[in-house]
Amino acid sequence: MGEYVNIILLFVFGAVISGGFIVISYLLGPSNKSAAKGMPYECGVDPVGEPRRQFTVKFCLVAMIFIVFDIEVVFLYPWAVLFKEFKEIGMGVFAFIEMMVFVGILAVGLLYVYGRRAIDWE
Amino acid sequence: MSNIESLIYFIPEWVLIAMMLVLIVVDIAAKKSRDLAAPVVAMAAFVLFFIANLVTLLFSPTSLFEGMITFDFMGIFFKGLVAVVAMLVVVLSYKSNDLKNVDRPTYYLLLIAAVLGMDLLIVSKNLLMIYLALEMVSIPSYLLSGSMRGDKKSSEAALKYVIYGGVASGVMVYGMSWIYGITGELGLFDVYIFLTSNPVNNVAIFIALLFTIAGFLFKVASVPFHMWCPDVYEGSPTPITAFLSVGPKAAGFAILIRFLTSGFMAAGENGWEVVGGVTWPALIAILSAATMTWGNFAALRQENLKRLLAYSSIAHAGYILMGLAAFSPRALSAVFFYLVIYVAMNIGAFLVVIMMANQTGSFMLESFRGLGRRGTYGAALAVAMTVFLFSLTGMPPLAGFAGKFYLFSAVMESKLYWLALVGVLNSVVSLYYYARVVKTMFLDEAEAGEPVAKPFMGHSVVVAVLAALIVYLGIFWNQLVYLTSDSVQMIR
Repeated sequence: MGEYVNIILLFVFGAVISGGFIVISYLLGPSNKSAAKGMPYECGVDPVGEPRRQFTVKFCLVAMIFIVFDIEVVFLYPWAVLFKEFKEIGMGVFAFIEMMVFVGILAVGLLYVYGRRAIDWE
Repeated sequence: MSNIESLIYFIPEWVLIAMMLVLIVVDIAAKKSRDLAAPVVAMAAFVLFFIANLVTLLFSPTSLFEGMITFDFMGIFFKGLVAVVAMLVVVLSYKSNDLKNVDRPTYYLLLIAAVLGMDLLIVSKNLLMIYLALEMVSIPSYLLSGSMRGDKKSSEAALKYVIYGGVASGVMVYGMSWIYGITGELGLFDVYIFLTSNPVNNVAIFIALLFTIAGFLFKVASVPFHMWCPDVYEGSPTPITAFLSVGPKAAGFAILIRFLTSGFMAAGENGWEVVGGVTWPALIAILSAATMTWGNFAALRQENLKRLLAYSSIAHAGYILMGLAAFSPRALSAVFFYLVIYVAMNIGAFLVVIMMANQTGSFMLESFRGLGRRGTYGAALAVAMTVFLFSLTGMPPLAGFAGKFYLFSAVMESKLYWLALVGVLNSVVSLYYYARVVKTMFLDEAEAGEPVAKPFMGHSVVVAVLAALIVYLGIFWNQLVYLTSDSVQMIR
């Protein structure tokens, strides 16, 4: 428990200092609001277009597909690191075929995603 | 058995996985004949799965994959049952109006995935494997129940199913974490060993058991985890309703039986005893009585046939739980026997509903009026529906009577007389709503009296075969009893 006190103190100090800045500037600073100062910032020019548009679903689709293949990569990492040891005990061919089967199944999935045009951007 | 040696036992599952990949390739390759190729591939998958399952009978029972999965006769029996259910669902889906706008390859792909999940659920003996397989059954089921895109009821059904299923899975995993915390083991047999050799806090293990079987009881649609059932069954496309009412239910019962009898039951000389001081048979008996009563009484006022059959399937889950509460090998064999008959009856009833909905577009009882007088096909459909409904009630000489007879006799042998009385009274109550359909079909006048058109040949064949099977099994039930008694052997 003693080691963690340092980290907690770090968090406390961070919160106190940044919170302190905000509170003191709120209490001591002037507050002159105007219409021009209240507009959303868009590189200095007048804002163009509507603030809220409908979220395109293709972002969600690409993210979902990315997750699946990212997890495939996560499984590939330990296999790649341990492959040499498999080879030394004579299971090299088996380990290789097993991983190729795994990647192959996911490759068929990638073919499906490509063929059903789920990753087409337009 | 190690991972590599276990692979040879896994041939039925390999078949399913390979056919899933074939179906994916068919989906993107065949542009014109997708609607025809997809059911053919799915049917081939299930037929090959059934054959591969029979081939594995050559192997002797063992524990596979370092204690994750068992391989025993109970597993082979249930896998065969699930394969038959899947084959029937493919035939039901082939020409069903509900699935007009559904993308066929995706639909059959999800069906194969659900069957693979059920296959793994039936043979799991490790808590993590159970969770994985349960999710593998549930998630394609959620998607399948919402297949009719744009249909409000279907989307509502899928949403209710997802939310309810997610919460049930969460509760189940919480219970599993308690079991792990108390015993330090994840394998069911290891839990049993721990419970027999160490004293545990009875209340804690009871709560853990309660939370864990909540997930299984959700799949089985028993009280108090049944509220999703009517709405999901009503909103899903009817072939999927038929599938959900028998497939995941059978798999859910298999894993419930395995969980309770592998982990929490000791086979002594005087019959079975509970382990760990948890009297779960009493709990199951109370849940069974509540389920039967609630399902039967709620079905009394239904006009929509899909909802009526949904409530009736809740009630039948209650009857099957009665067998589990009886807590003896004979009771288990009665449960297996009843499950086979239940598959035939329920799929037959849903198939008749599908055939009628294809013609009239409605699932209400009104559209069945005077069916007995609406031409040859109408009369044939009415007779088949009568066979299925009276078998669901439990009338001799139909198979449903044989099933209920075995269940009740097992319950009486275990001296649970109050439960048998509740079951009998509930069967009497159920006669009302089943007979009401029969009365509508034969004794009411049809307002639009046009004869029923010739239905799809595959459907007619399946209805005839199932009805004949129900009549046959009602009289010659011995073979099936031998089969189910042998299948009760499960290994820990």
